[in-house]
Amino acid sequence: MKVRLFAVAALVLTLAVAASSASARTNVSGRAAASKITVWLQVDAQTGWPDLVAAANQAFQAKHPGVSVDVQYQTWGDHLGKFDATLAGGGVPDVIEMGNTEMTKYMAAGAFANLTSQKGSFANSKNWLKGLAASGIYNNKVYGVPYYAGSRVVTYRSDLYKKAGVKIPTSLAAFAADAKKLMAKNPRKGFSPVYTAGTDWYFAMSFVYDFGGQIAALKHGKWVGQLESKKSQAGLAAYKRFFNVASRASKTGTENRPYPYDVYSQGQAASIVGPAWFSCCVGKKYTKVTKQFVMPSHVKGQGMPGFLGGSDLAVPKASGDQALATDWIRIFTNTAGEKGLQSKGNIPNATNLLGNSVNERAAKRSWFVPTAKNWVNVENGNVLRTMLARILTGKQSTKAAAAFADSNIELTLNQ
Amino acid sequence: MWDAIGVVVFVVIAFPVYWMIASAFKPDHELNSLTPTWFSLHPTLSHFGDAIHRPFFWDGVKNSLIVVTVTVALSMVCAFLAAIALAKFRFTGRKLFIILIIGIQMLPQVGLIIPLYVVLARYHQVNALSGVIVTYMTFVLPFSVWMLRGFLLGVPKDLEEAAMVDGSSRIGSFTRILLPLVAPGLVATSIFAFITTWNEYIFARVLLNDQAKQTATVWLSYFTGTSRNTDWGGLMAGSTLIAIPVIIFFLLVQRKIAFGLTTGAVRG
Amino acid sequence: MTPSELPGTAYAAEAGIRPRRRRPFTVARVVRGAAPYLLILPVVAIVVAILGYPLYHLARLSFQKYGLFELIAHHGTNVGWANYSSILHDQVFWHVLVRTIVFTVANVALTMGIGTLLALLLTKVSSVVRVLLTAGLVLAWSMPPVVAVQVWLWMTNYENGVLNYTLTKLHVGNYFQHDWYATPFSQLSLTTSLIVWGAIPFVVVTVYAGLTQVPTEIVEAAEIDGARPWRVFWDVTVPIIKPIFLVLTSLSIIWDFGVFTQPFLLIDQTRINASNELMGVYLFEEGYLKTDFGRGAAISILMLLIVAILSIFYVRKMVRMGDEAR
Repeated sequence: MKVRLFAVAALVLTLAVAASSASARTNVSGRAAASKITVWLQVDAQTGWPDLVAAANQAFQAKHPGVSVDVQYQTWGDHLGKFDATLAGGGVPDVIEMGNTEMTKYMAAGAFANLTSQKGSFANSKNWLKGLAASGIYNNKVYGVPYYAGSRVVTYRSDLYKKAGVKIPTSLAAFAADAKKLMAKNPRKGFSPVYTAGTDWYFAMSFVYDFGGQIAALKHGKWVGQLESKKSQAGLAAYKRFFNVASRASKTGTENRPYPYDVYSQGQAASIVGPAWFSCCVGKKYTKVTKQFVMPSHVKGQGMPGFLGGSDLAVPKASGDQALATDWIRIFTNTAGEKGLQSKGNIPNATNLLGNSVNERAAKRSWFVPTAKNWVNVENGNVLRTMLARILTGKQSTKAAAAFADSNIELTLNQ
Repeated sequence: MWDAIGVVVFVVIAFPVYWMIASAFKPDHELNSLTPTWFSLHPTLSHFGDAIHRPFFWDGVKNSLIVVTVTVALSMVCAFLAAIALAKFRFTGRKLFIILIIGIQMLPQVGLIIPLYVVLARYHQVNALSGVIVTYMTFVLPFSVWMLRGFLLGVPKDLEEAAMVDGSSRIGSFTRILLPLVAPGLVATSIFAFITTWNEYIFARVLLNDQAKQTATVWLSYFTGTSRNTDWGGLMAGSTLIAIPVIIFFLLVQRKIAFGLTTGAVRG
Repeated sequence: MTPSELPGTAYAAEAGIRPRRRRPFTVARVVRGAAPYLLILPVVAIVVAILGYPLYHLARLSFQKYGLFELIAHHGTNVGWANYSSILHDQVFWHVLVRTIVFTVANVALTMGIGTLLALLLTKVSSVVRVLLTAGLVLAWSMPPVVAVQVWLWMTNYENGVLNYTLTKLHVGNYFQHDWYATPFSQLSLTTSLIVWGAIPFVVVTVYAGLTQVPTEIVEAAEIDGARPWRVFWDVTVPIIKPIFLVLTSLSIIWDFGVFTQPFLLIDQTRINASNELMGVYLFEEGYLKTDFGRGAAISILMLLIVAILSIFYVRKMVRMGDEAR
């Protein structure tokens, strides 16, 4: 009996040893001459501008005959998980699209190739949008090429505005007054003149930056939370006042449940604040009367800084052929490519290409999150959302809620 | 009376499914309307058309079918053999094997994603259906063994002994007596294995890169994976379509569940 | 009878040889002895080949500092028990643990209770209703969690959800714009409803399969003898389905304790915080979102130990049951 047990155990152990010894050779890709490059773009490109991708591939293959391009579309929810797996086990893509808020963490960890010396070779690099370019820079080195951006605008019902005798506001105060007029003319239960979710921090922080405040600042190499500063407090107070006048959304609710454009399409909102593409989904009934304008600042005549969302393209260090990968990015983001993206409603990556759409005008004044490698943890920890919920529900004073958030931010960013 | 209760229970259990299917037929404005629509008066097939025409729909279905049928078939055979060993034999290392079986199920799968990817990469099983099959088998086998052992233990011993007195050898008694008796358990376990692997998402997502190789659930994730608006009607239509193979599998095997002892397996 | 057919000892005695203690080494005996090992070999081989290294790696990781930087460098730094110590000293971990245990007990009780009742119901209804009900259960079972979550969200939508609408119309109360995700209790209750709804079909189908193993002759004999239905159930049915019941309960405990997809998708990442996290979500947040793989590995090991302790009662019963049957 014992002999048989040992025999089986030996067999099992052999398998285990075989498995682990096969792993002794690390598998980091080091192809001599690549015959294929792998590009990870988000599914937005697959549904939004597949023709631009195809054009770039064609141009690339004309320039590098014998090298094929394998574009693999990813989804926002898990592309980083997949990326992490490839970083650990091999199979890293040659080009990867990263959200601008996702870049810093990976740049700090040394995931990407340094493109600083080649910056000049990218089209319009001298005029890259400051907000977007900043997301691809770490320690003064360029790791990411700006791909495209999107700003925040106000999408509104021109018919309701006309009926209430309201014109496009040029200042925050005027907007608040307009909201009151709209509310008076539409006394329906749950109707919002300007629907915005309570904890939509992208919108709320715009107020903070508009009044000259900021989320956090790097002082002597340490991050210091700035939400308690006088200017930030003024911005938060202005946000609370505006919310109470203009929005009937849940004070603790988020901007993805429900989507503002769903509320709009149900006829429960005269205007919504969000990305410019919101206009796609306002429902057949209101498409004809839907227009957009730039969110006004508290200072008359200018726009409130909007959160600049967007994507960068980077080359992972472990890529098999960085030169080819960089060339692909060069081709994809050249002037023709960027103009193509612009025609699909995006903001191109350089100021000299900017047109006059509402989206692009709104991008003239923008803000971005602190470029700290742990910023993503602050976002994932919902620190700002918790703060806004407490402020709006009155559970804590603006000062106290901001103090709590600041200490949380400092703890996380300085880890 | 029991039938009435049965129908009420059916309505409660199936309501979310009904909501999904009904939504697949609703035009967009009804999906988001302020008052919920129970039944669309203007049903549309456009969502189904959109879903089918999305790239790689048929690839997704094909890959899922391959992965799931191979996984379930192989797993049922291997698990059944192991369950027999556990239920009918006394051997050294039995407790160790049981600990292995139970222990694996207690591992949070989330924690295993990256190490598993690393292992499969070394065997060149990344971006391959075989890698996914082998991964799924690793997770299906433990609970299948555990469940089948439970069913085997439930078979009254005297039936087995009666069969042996009849002159059948041990192996003969397995196939002629035991198998039909355990059939309902085998079927229940295979349905569970089928559905679990059909709906598995995380490992398929991480292991498969080529969209042409991806399974149906990964295909489905592209509906909600965009940073723009989600096509809810398309998602519901896609989900309804993807549920069809599961229903077909169930209909094929469900008669075997009630395959009781009345079909002549017992003599006297 | 030829000498070779006599039992060994008697033959030896006849032949005047002292009986040997070793059992005869025939081919049949070897095959029978090796049989169980051969039977379990496929399972063991696959599981060890695929999970052997990951398990070893996971254990090793739990003693290392291993973030994104270390992942890229393929090299972690050893920190001994630091990961475990930091988790065990974290207040949040203990709150999450207690919350998850309560959650698990509630979910398992509801799943097994309702599941068994429905399985019994299946034996009582006519065959048409049985197919209908089983079909409904399988349909519910086959909905991918992502889709089920979406349907739940629609039903509980703040603005136009069917639940708010119906409750208001039925005058149960004013549920206009009721936010079902405002409090942790409400969030976790909805998560429970989603999980139990998805888990019941499995229990029903499996228990029903077990019930069909109950020999009808014995049941009829008992009923003819005048035994009441409850007695029949207890004395005849229960012993046969007991192993299955234990299996299902142990599996349910294991799965419900580590559940991740449903709470994460239903409550949504934007509303998850220390007051509504469950262990599976806590692991994901601490290990993956914060890219601290060493900590995540330590949490995984702790979860493994905890769930082993929670389910030990049922598992031991299952193992003993197998021994008794021999």
